[in-house]
Parts: sequence; C-alpha cells; structure tokens
Amino acid sequence: MVAGSGWIEARARRRDERRAFFRNAATAAVVGAGGLLLSREASAQTAPSDVDILNFALNLEYLEAQFYSYAVSGVGLAADQLTGTQTQGSVSGARRATLSDPAVIQYAREIAADEVAHVAVLRRVLGSAAVAQPAIDLSTTVFTAAAKAADIDLDASGGVFDPYASDDNFLLAAYLFEDVGVTAYKGAAPLLSDVAIVDAAAGLLAAEAFHAGLIRSALYRRGVDVDDLREKADKISDARDDLDGDDDSDGPPRRVGDDDQGVSPVTSIYGRAANVVPTDGRGLVFGRTVEQVHNIAYLTKQQVSAGGFFPAGTNNANAALRRSGAN
Amino acid sequence: MNGPIEFLDLMERAEQQRQARRRFIRLCGGAAAMTGGLALLSGCGDDNDDGSPTPSPSPTPSGAITDVAVLNFALQLEYLEGAYYAYAVSGSGVDGALLSGMGTQGAVVTGSGAGAARAVDFSDDVVAEYAREIAADEIGHIRFLRETLGSARVAQPAINISGSASVDVAGTTTVGAFTAAARAAGVIGAGDIFDPYASDENFLIGAYLLTDVGVSAYRGAAKLLTNKTYLEASAGILAAECYHDATIRAELWRRGLTVPSVYTRVSQISALRDSLDGAGDTDQDIGNAATANLVPTDSDGLVLGRSAAQVLNVVFQNGAAVTGGGFFPTGLNGTILTSGAGG
Repeated sequence: MVAGSGWIEARARRRDERRAFFRNAATAAVVGAGGLLLSREASAQTAPSDVDILNFALNLEYLEAQFYSYAVSGVGLAADQLTGTQTQGSVSGARRATLSDPAVIQYAREIAADEVAHVAVLRRVLGSAAVAQPAIDLSTTVFTAAAKAADIDLDASGGVFDPYASDDNFLLAAYLFEDVGVTAYKGAAPLLSDVAIVDAAAGLLAAEAFHAGLIRSALYRRGVDVDDLREKADKISDARDDLDGDDDSDGPPRRVGDDDQGVSPVTSIYGRAANVVPTDGRGLVFGRTVEQVHNIAYLTKQQVSAGGFFPAGTNNANAALRRSGAN
Repeated sequence: MNGPIEFLDLMERAEQQRQARRRFIRLCGGAAAMTGGLALLSGCGDDNDDGSPTPSPSPTPSGAITDVAVLNFALQLEYLEGAYYAYAVSGSGVDGALLSGMGTQGAVVTGSGAGAARAVDFSDDVVAEYAREIAADEIGHIRFLRETLGSARVAQPAINISGSASVDVAGTTTVGAFTAAARAAGVIGAGDIFDPYASDENFLIGAYLLTDVGVSAYRGAAKLLTNKTYLEASAGILAAECYHDATIRAELWRRGLTVPSVYTRVSQISALRDSLDGAGDTDQDIGNAATANLVPTDSDGLVLGRSAAQVLNVVFQNGAAVTGGGFFPTGLNGTILTSGAGG
C-alpha cells in the first residue's frame, strides 16, 4: 500500500503554510527576499522532484487507462479522475474494440482495471499537486501515423490502422504503449528520492511489466498462426528504437542506443527461444529517459513539446519533463 | 532582513545535505563491493546521525540491510531459478564457473528415478521457446549480479530442485522439494510425487512455484537499495521477472480452459505460499475461465511484494523462523538467513 491521501501534497503544503506564516508575520522582511526566493525556485526546476516524476508517470497512465478503458467498455475514465493543475484536455477518437479471443478479452479487462487503479493511486498520492489529464488523441489517424512510421503494410486495410478493429490490431496498439510504460518507470526509478515513492513505483513498474509480458506473449502465440503478426510487432519496436535515438549513457538512468526488441524468435544459448522479454543481454529490461519516452508518445525524433498521442503535450510543472529529445 | 525564510530554507538544505551524505556513505559500501576492494570500506567509515566520526570500519552496520546483502540474497534466488530452467531446457545445470563465491558452495540436488531433474520433453514448441528464453535470462541475471558484487558475491548453496520421493542432501534423506511443496499444497496426495519435468503442464506449475517468488522478492527489495545504480539494475531485473511471470501465468490460464484442474492446482499453491509467509495478502492465483487474474496486484494496481523473511518462508517451505529447508535444504549464504515467524 502507498501512503495515504495526498501526503506529498501535505508535505509541500506544510512548507508553503510555514512560509506564508512568516510572510504574514514579517511582511517587511519578506519583500526584500522575494527576488531571491524566485530565482531559487526557478533554478530548482532543473532537477526533477518526486512530484515531477510522478506527474510524468500520471500522464502516461492517463493515456494507457483511456486506451484500455475505451477498448474494453467504450467508456473512458470518470470525470473526477481527470482534474488537476495545468490544462485539462479531452480524449478523442477512442472507442470499444472488437475483440473475440477469450484470452485477449481477459487481458484487456484486467489491464484496463489496473491502469484505472494506477491513475487513481497516483492522483491520491499527488493530491492537489496532480496534473490534469492533457488532451489525448487515440484516433485511427494517430495510430495510422505510428503504423506508417513503423513501415507496416496497410494496403489490405485501405491505408488505415484501426486499433479497435480486431484482436490483433488491439494487441499491436497495446504493444506500442506497454514497453514504453515499462521503460519509463525503469528509467525513472533512480531519479526518485523518497523511499515510499520508490517502493510504490516498483509496484507500478512490475504491473506494467506484467502487462507487457501478457501482450507480447499473446502476440508471440497468436503469431504461430497469424502471418506477419510477429513481424509487425518487430517493426513497431524498430520504429520506437529509431524515434528515441541511439545515444549511450551509463546513467543512472542508464541509456543504451539499441533499447528495443521485437518478439520474433531469437537464438539463445539454449537454441530457438521466444523474445517476450526485451533485455540488454544481461537479462535486464531496458530503461528510457523522460525525453525518450516523449519521443515515442509524440511520435517524433525532434525536440518538441507536443504531438502524436498528446496533441497539446503532457502536463508538468517542470518544463523539462514535457519535451522530447533531439535525436 | 529575511531571516525566517532563510533560516527555514537553511534547515531544509541541512537536512538534504545530511541525507545526501548518508547516501554517499552507503554508495561507498556499494562501490567497494563492485570492485571487490574491502579495503575501500575503511575509507568510508561509519555514519551516525549526529555526524560524530567512528574509527572502526563497519561493512555491515547493525540493524541496516546493506545493498550487498540484498543483492546476494537475490543472487541465490537466481541460482535456484537458473538451476530449474537450465535443467528443464537442457538436462544440465548452470555453468560451474558461475557458482563459486563466499560461504559454503553446495550442489544441485536432482534426485534420481521418477521426478529427477532433467530436460523436459516439451510437446508445445511455444512453451519450449518461452522456457529457453527464461533460462537464458536467469543465467544473465546470475552473471550480472556476480559481476556487480565482485568478490563479495556468495556461492550457490545446496539447491533441491527434485521431484523425487526421496533424495540425499549431505548425507540426510529428504523429499524432492517440488514434491514436498505439492504435497503441502494438496496438489497431490501425501504418498504421490510431483514431477515438474514430466510434461509442459507440470513444468509450468513448477515455474509458477518459483517465478512468483522472484517477482515478489525483487518488488519488496526495491525500497531497501540505497545505491541508485543498483536500484535501477534491480528494477531491470524485477521487470524481467514480471515478463516471465506474466508469460507463465498466461500459459497456465490458457491451459485451464481445456484442463480446469490447472486452476485448482494453481490456487492451492498460492494459498500455501500465502499461509506460509504470515498475515497479509502476498499471493494471488490466476483466477478461472470466467475471470482471469494474471497480474497479482493490490487494489491500487500495484504488484504485491514480500519481505526477505517472507520470501524465505516460501522457499524454505516453512511458516516458522528457520534457516533452511525446501528448495534450500542447508540454507543460504550471506547475511539474510532466517525466515519470518509469522506463518
């Protein structure tokens, strides 16, 4: 369990209240300190706080929760789960998916419930510091752009990739998101300070990795009978790998150029093996920096602050956590 | 005069600096372990809240679980998983060069006859391909942790991965650990054996016995690690274990559609683990055909964790505070040794 309602918020509020008290008690003194205070807060923005990191995660959870929630039920997050600081946006283009494989239906339901819970727990921990849901575009237009960026052949579907049209399309769309969520939490882990937050983030990371494992193993197994399904997943991985650049850094967070892998079989030390787990050769799952995650969410190699699934950008008080990297 | 606010900010900064200093000290211990140079530790010294210098080096401060202890604990769980998957996919264990280290090195107890550890004759190619991938990942984890720990790494202790009715561990006769676990869970009768190497389904159930434990162990250990490089690496391993577990749980659920007894057996194993490790919900089964439960989470959608002592309850197959049994018949090496008393 995570600490109770809004305790990060409470901590920040106590400090603010304390400051306000002294401002009121010693107004004359504070006037002179104003400039100093402002410059100190401005410079503090370069290092992300735990609140910044959790809000970064919350943006991603809004995206995933809305996608899965619409896909399984045709309805999105409740209105009271969308409010917060900065600009609130709406979801466009999402709808209920046409699913028929009982296993895929189960996965979708369970993942949807988990993602909705993730939004709720992050909002609870952040309290009034939680950012609002930004505008989210889950239309076939954006997914088609992603599919085209991945060089997936769309001739058979009239040049359109509709993530809600079938089990396989739904899985591919989920695949696009899932490994990104995992790598985002993995890359963020060493940036967090508070032990309780580290603990909760490990629980979130683990849940995303279960989800990714479900989606990837489903694509792997269905790929036995469905031509090119595994290859399509491979292409999405290649596209993500291309979008997020090829820089290396020891970190933390550690960054490796080749940080994505498809699901097609590989030759392991024991022979032909699945590739359900995208790892770096040491059996460790990859991580991504905040900027790299935005490159994929915005579907761009450029340094921008909006695009793709977030047409108005993600919300964050720390501007450095709203932008993609220049790759 | 801006005294009050300056003062409060200074107080905050002092607190931050104190915490940073303590983190640095902990990192010192970690760096020493990485290079294997215990001498480095003497340069780090001890750290007290009051900041008073302590002359004697203290590699394992009392009351605190060091990063080295946590990583060595994890390494031994990887030895166990590595041995199981390596035997299942190849009929032999992990490369002997990867088993040495501090403490007492033990053998892998394979058993003989029915239930002996051996290569599984997989009938489903996909399950075989999953198994090979997991085996390779676990060996990657062993290599990574050993390299990270350097000379501080512990040896593989004795590991019982047998399903045989009777095995010999250092001159003592006991039961194959998989059979012992399956009997305790009620998956099989008291006189039966459970052979995890006999079929795809049995292999998956054997994997279920181990993989959930690995996930909950790394999940629970995250908050104990102070070195951020270790924390990130551990997060990478935690994630890999979760991908594995999802794959195993999903395969078991799919099989349950045609063999409903799978749901019962998995449920019995989860119930056993949950009872061994004391109060609180640390384990969840995979649900049933109507409603799957493939991700073991709390109501916040967070995956469940176990403390190190709870993990030991499960792998020792004992609800009491003991120092060995089950999959680790002679216990562990290192400093995290005793299971919890709460089961």
